[in-house]
Amino acid sequence: MLIFAIARVIPGDPARIALGPNATAEQVENLRLRLHLDQPLSVQYGHFIADLAQGDLGVSLYTNRPVTQDIAQFLPATLELIIVAGLMMILIGLPLGVISARYRGSWADSTIRIFTLLGVSAPSFVWAVILMLLFAYFLPLFPIAGRLADSMTVPTVTGFLLIDTLLAGNIKAFGNAAWHLVLPAFALALSGIGQAARLTRSNMVETYDKPYIEMAESYGFPEGRIARRYAFRPSLIPSLTIIGLDFAAMLGNAFLVEAVFAWPGLSRYGVAVILRKDLNAIVGTVLIISALFLIVNIVVDFLIAMINPRIRLSQRAQ
Amino acid sequence: MTAPTLLIRDLRLSFKGYSGLVEVLHGISLHIDKGERVALVGESGSGKSVTARIILGLLQTMRTARISGTVNFEGRDLEAMSRAERHRLRGTKMSMIFQDPTSSLNPVYRISEQFHEVLKRMVPGIGRAEADRKAAAMLADVSITEPERVLASYPFQLSGGMNQRVMIAMALANEPSLLIADEPGTALDVTVQAQTLKLMRELVTRHNTAVLFISHNLGVVREFADRIYVIYKGRIVEHGKATQLFDNPRHPYTRALMNAIPRITGEGIPKIQDNSDEYLAPLVVHEGCGEPGEVA
Ligand SMILES: Nc1ncnc2c1ncn2[C@@H]1O[C@H](COP(=O)(O)OP(=O)(O)OP(=O)(O)O)[C@@H](O)[C@H]1O
Ligand SMILES: [Mg+2]
Repeated sequence: MLIFAIARVIPGDPARIALGPNATAEQVENLRLRLHLDQPLSVQYGHFIADLAQGDLGVSLYTNRPVTQDIAQFLPATLELIIVAGLMMILIGLPLGVISARYRGSWADSTIRIFTLLGVSAPSFVWAVILMLLFAYFLPLFPIAGRLADSMTVPTVTGFLLIDTLLAGNIKAFGNAAWHLVLPAFALALSGIGQAARLTRSNMVETYDKPYIEMAESYGFPEGRIARRYAFRPSLIPSLTIIGLDFAAMLGNAFLVEAVFAWPGLSRYGVAVILRKDLNAIVGTVLIISALFLIVNIVVDFLIAMINPRIRLSQRAQ
Repeated sequence: MTAPTLLIRDLRLSFKGYSGLVEVLHGISLHIDKGERVALVGESGSGKSVTARIILGLLQTMRTARISGTVNFEGRDLEAMSRAERHRLRGTKMSMIFQDPTSSLNPVYRISEQFHEVLKRMVPGIGRAEADRKAAAMLADVSITEPERVLASYPFQLSGGMNQRVMIAMALANEPSLLIADEPGTALDVTVQAQTLKLMRELVTRHNTAVLFISHNLGVVREFADRIYVIYKGRIVEHGKATQLFDNPRHPYTRALMNAIPRITGEGIPKIQDNSDEYLAPLVVHEGCGEPGEVA
């Protein structure tokens, strides 16, 4: 409802913008009628909800296609970027935190702490620009923009290039797509990596002072095992919460990173439709992002409940 | 004559801090014979826990700790052993029980998994089913009536007294020759503490396990130990059989500790601010209690 309201109060007549300056007053009036724009806001809202319930987000005035179809085209690119960034966050951030905590006070710990501090101290679009300049422009190790080399094409099945290239059996294109993903995903993940690592470290260092660690040491359990099962596992619960929040925040940050790397994702679409005051498309885009946000949060809560026996058991008892 | 289970001679420990070296143990000597129950009693900060950590070989790896003197375990010098050898003794030949049973168990694993981990120290390839069977038998030994239910529980689902029994069962599972109990069950209420100590005493007697019992409470020690060392500020100030010491405490500090035995609560650290010369009086050794190899 909030989304709906915000989209309506942006100044400007959507029908006018959609049809361009050359349209006649009659054409504009027709479109307004079709979109129920002539009716009071409360009635407009009623139409909107009724359509939404049928999975219909209306037609985009910009592309002239159903909004759902537009989103289905642009969303996979964004999701692919975010999922890869999320995996980086988990697969790089958590191990860095664990190493840092296990060898606390060592040079490895100091190096990691400096690196992660850098990661959290600048927003992802700044990192996007820096990484792009360093590793795509000055040192052309990675492609500067886009998802796939222009010379390559793969049939669209899922929209996820990593999956589609594999489905097509085109390993070369898969490598190319992955190569294109590295910089934008890393830029997007950096602050999350930093936060996950720093939080994991501080939680684990705290856990290392717990009596059950001393007990594990006094029983001579192997050090690596103590790090994993005794210090890391109980510290994972708060880390996971932060990772979930960061993951959700990436949905927003992806907008700017996509812009920097000319990534043909939902943000490109979102910016374009906002500029054109394409009501249905704006509402649809924001709705999808909110829905993803919700889903991520639910999944994280679920994961936390799964690894925390206290929550798991209290739920079962109810 | 067989070597004593534990023989500590002139043990000194200092910590390197910002203000230089601070000596915490000023030359401690004590011994425990095979199957003997010995108590180390003193107020907070007197150096009881650090002694225990040295015996387990845990402080040796700490960069800020400086240790000198000898610690022999079953006739072998711990200092002469490699780090791996010392590590191998832990959880097999020596084990330890802590102050607060509930927070000494890992909160995210079931008791059976933690038991499995302990049993693996002795038999690395032991399977889960086999470990569960052994664990259930050990739990029955500490008078737990439903071992299966306890094994399937997490520590937070069990009472403090129950966790304490679990800790005792774990500590004795691998039949160690030395059990170190650092203020066991101080976090429990008095009656539960008394029950579990009685149980522990029965078990160590049955298994002929030597025990170093650490406490700040002479009242608790009285029931448990054959021999008592009183430690004060990193020095042993009095040493004797439990009966001798209780009948005739000779060091002023021991007398102060006796007067401080809490009568009802079982809690409470003796309030001894006194720092007079009297407290620094020389070591009192009761008849027949000298360190091996020294003139008693
Ligand atoms: N890691 C360490 N670094 C520096 N000093 C330490 C360290 N561990 C212990 N100490 C010091 O050594 C002294 C003895 O500590 P210890 O833990 O052995 O006392 P305790 O007799 O067990 O007391 P409590 O009854 O409180 O457990 C204390 O003064 C303590 O401050
Ligand atoms: Mg202590």
